[in-house]
Amino acid sequence: MIIKCNCSRRDFLRRGLYGIGVGAGLPTILSRTSAALTAQALGGTSMAANPDRIMVVVELSGGNDGLNTVVPFGNDEYYRVRPNLGIREPDVIKAEDGLGFHPAMVGFERLYKDGNMAVIHGCGYENPSLSHFSSMGYWHSAVPNGGDPLGWVGRLADGAYDHDAQGNVIVNIGRRQAMAVRSRHHPPLVFSDPSSLRRDGDQEEQAALAALSEARPSENSALQFLTATAQNAIESGAIVRDAAAAYHTPVDYGIGGLSGPLRRVAALVAAELPTRLYYVSYAGNSFDTHVHQADPHARLLAYTADAVNGFVEDLKRIGRAKDVAVMMFTEFGRRVEENASLGTDHGTATPMFVAGAGVTGGMYGRHPSLTDLDDGNLKMTTDFRRVYATMIDEWLGYKATAPILKGSFEPLGMFA
Amino acid sequence: MPRNSFPALLVFLLVAAAAAIAHAGQAGPAVWTDDLTNIGQADWDRDKAAHLVERAGFGGTPEDIDSLAAMTPAEAVSALVQFQRTPDTLEAFDASPIWEMGMDPFPKSRAEAVRIARETGQSMGVAMLPEGESRRLQPVVNQFFYGLRSNAIETQRLASWWGDRMLRTTRPLEEKLTLFWHGHFSTGNTKVRDTRMMEQQNEMLRAHANGSFRDLLLGILRDPAMLVYLDNGENIKDHPNENFGRELLELFTMGVGNYTEHDIREASRAFTGWTNDVLEFEFDPDQHDFRTKTFLGETGEFNGEDIVELILAADATAEFVAAKLYRYFVRDELTDRTQAALGATLRGANYELAPLLTQIFLSRDFYSPTSVATQIKSPVHLVISTYRKLGLATLPTVPDFNGLTARLGQTLFNPPNVAGWAGGRTWVTPGSLLDRGNLFRAVLFPDTDSFYPPDRVVPGIYASVARRLEQGMNITAATQTGDAESSRLADRDEDYNTRYGGYMGYVMAFDRLIPVPRHAPDLDLAQLLAGSGARDVEAIVDHFFARFLRVTPRADERRVLVDFLRSELGSDYLAAEPAQPGDPAAEAALRGLLYLVLSMPEYQLA
Repeated sequence: MIIKCNCSRRDFLRRGLYGIGVGAGLPTILSRTSAALTAQALGGTSMAANPDRIMVVVELSGGNDGLNTVVPFGNDEYYRVRPNLGIREPDVIKAEDGLGFHPAMVGFERLYKDGNMAVIHGCGYENPSLSHFSSMGYWHSAVPNGGDPLGWVGRLADGAYDHDAQGNVIVNIGRRQAMAVRSRHHPPLVFSDPSSLRRDGDQEEQAALAALSEARPSENSALQFLTATAQNAIESGAIVRDAAAAYHTPVDYGIGGLSGPLRRVAALVAAELPTRLYYVSYAGNSFDTHVHQADPHARLLAYTADAVNGFVEDLKRIGRAKDVAVMMFTEFGRRVEENASLGTDHGTATPMFVAGAGVTGGMYGRHPSLTDLDDGNLKMTTDFRRVYATMIDEWLGYKATAPILKGSFEPLGMFA
Repeated sequence: MPRNSFPALLVFLLVAAAAAIAHAGQAGPAVWTDDLTNIGQADWDRDKAAHLVERAGFGGTPEDIDSLAAMTPAEAVSALVQFQRTPDTLEAFDASPIWEMGMDPFPKSRAEAVRIARETGQSMGVAMLPEGESRRLQPVVNQFFYGLRSNAIETQRLASWWGDRMLRTTRPLEEKLTLFWHGHFSTGNTKVRDTRMMEQQNEMLRAHANGSFRDLLLGILRDPAMLVYLDNGENIKDHPNENFGRELLELFTMGVGNYTEHDIREASRAFTGWTNDVLEFEFDPDQHDFRTKTFLGETGEFNGEDIVELILAADATAEFVAAKLYRYFVRDELTDRTQAALGATLRGANYELAPLLTQIFLSRDFYSPTSVATQIKSPVHLVISTYRKLGLATLPTVPDFNGLTARLGQTLFNPPNVAGWAGGRTWVTPGSLLDRGNLFRAVLFPDTDSFYPPDRVVPGIYASVARRLEQGMNITAATQTGDAESSRLADRDEDYNTRYGGYMGYVMAFDRLIPVPRHAPDLDLAQLLAGSGARDVEAIVDHFFARFLRVTPRADERRVLVDFLRSELGSDYLAAEPAQPGDPAAEAALRGLLYLVLSMPEYQLA
């Protein structure tokens, strides 16, 4: 439950000490202009070979139905287990080897045909959990059937950047911090609505708080960290608001849960924020399609494909397409057989996708068997950490993947 | 009236001490860092006592601090560590009547509940509908979701009960330690789905909180919530599940680097057959592997208890546990020498925890500048310590306690995963640092009109199901997402509808859960100040600094706050005789000032 009270103390007085009060949030007073910070480079990184490269991780929460996303239309078994929900062959957007995309995914069709989309089949891990909470946690920590206090993107930031690097090493667009970006040394900038990164309060309070939030050296390193973070919070709030205000694009990202977040990433890339690690979520357990899934799932896939394609198109427009790779994952796929409510239940292995102008497009790994099942669920064919290793090693150029992923995982050869 | 939080041995000194509130933040000399020698009586003062109560508890009122400052350091530490000498007068958790006949054992998943019902005609005490009815399994699915929802919300009630206990306890270290063990032996209700088990574990952790680590460890290994959380019911002799052995060695006792993968497998074999019959530990000899095992270099027909003894015999275990306690109570970094010394204390005491805790809290190192006011408060500590410092008599429930801590990244009874909370700097992001201040605005200026009690409101997609059903739609149409066409959908013939079950789960849960009484904080800042004698704006700001902060702010920050208060009051003084009883203008000015103080980066430090 999030309670946000922007009520002014005048209203509060008028209505009594426990009454309601609603007033407008007032502008934050800044100690420095945001332009100064945008220009500030993020120094002290060992990911220096290709310093402009950016990774955007996209989480599709709820467990996306992989079989109706990358459709095995050439396999009769698919139509036997999906008598009502199966995508009819004429409708499938054909890719190769009897596989194709759901008809709603014209955005992915475009990326795939241009060679800018990699599909990695059968991603998962041994002894899969069918719980949203557990499985999502495994993907975030990259420690299946275990756990870690930090997330894999957070550990990458800790490994790849000097611990005293200033600025926003990670930006996470979402209402809550994703576990994946929890870092020991580099607190991620987390926001959903750019206007939320500010202090509550009326004008007098805002003015006082700006003065109380200035970075300053201290012998107390925790206090120095806090004052630097406080100043960064106020300034970053202004940066993301300025970037959003300055950003106008003719590119259509469509609607749905990713278009807003990916547009915000594009605005920050366009504003030349030095951040290289972004994390966005298609939030709200949206892909958890237990009932009547045909229409809502088609919408979710259309929104996702349109937003990702729009994002890549927009990056081309601003000349940064070669610098950005988008990796998409979900916590599990759905059960092979459809259920009686025209939906699908929690399952296991599922495809991942990597999009971007620098990607060597095509199919990676082996599509899981529809007949050799584990209690009605697909057996995974690619450990998801191989895809993570591909992003870290091949794309970002950080070679020491084993400590980040807590094990050795062979990259897939996806980037030239 | 302020709470009397400590068994004050020298109560008569209170009045004299309260009159002279010193400024916070005076640590011992820098050379005390890493010095485990006991602090002397001559070095003991109000600042040291304030540091002790902040770390060994959740902070306190000036009166709480004065009572500890009036003791010797050994008496003060003993009063906290030997908390069994103080009677526990707080009420037990009042559980809602949510568990009905036949609900145990609760199925692991909706799919399992449905399978059982198909095979036996009923599940969780609820029968399928007779043949010919539509959605014959719907009552079973409703009951399954009822079990999930009611336990999720009941666990929030349990967390509020615990928060209230942290606030009101006269044995603060008991709760601070219980919170430590909750993070150390991380267990989450999202997986366990049974508030009774979570409560039982919480009581077990509390019962051994300052006792023997051996008892705690054996207690947690036999704890139903933990056995469910780590799936040890699936750890059977033919298919040993390594989770249990791995978490035992990596997270609970030794830490990585002190054992091999082989040790993990062998330990897991020794715990095969350790399971639970709902709320009772059960050893199933048919599933236990009685054969020979080799563990940490020793070979024998080891059972689980033998494995625990072999683990406790290793120096690495005592050092790992002692170092983790040190990081929780003192600071993130410790030297190898300190770690070895603290480990030796724990092992030397046969894993009794009180001597180790006493050593830590009496050490000069604990009072050195490297330790004092260098710890970032956990969200639970931040909220509870604020309420304690305000002298509140009960936990406010508007805003919702769990909502406040969850917004900052900590939910009691639901740590992020088996590794618990990372703590330290990971509590803070730029946005959460702003929220750490913003949430106190909601505490100081509570918005009761638009408050929605989270234990009474159907969330998200289920709210739209409720709305559509109210509009007269059939179940198929009401559970469809998206466009208005759905209202024309014909009702489907199906075994059950999952989304409708999810909605009914809330309706049934709200019917049986005891409501959380909702009340905003009972605050009167003018009254709070009255005892201090602070009346001019400078003295008021200084009183708030001394009462709430462990770091003295800079002069320019103090000036900002003094100017703010002067401008809000329109005067240099708080009227001695308020214009009207509970003068709302003065109260609002003081709350505005307090909001600023609680939003300062300095306030994040314990």
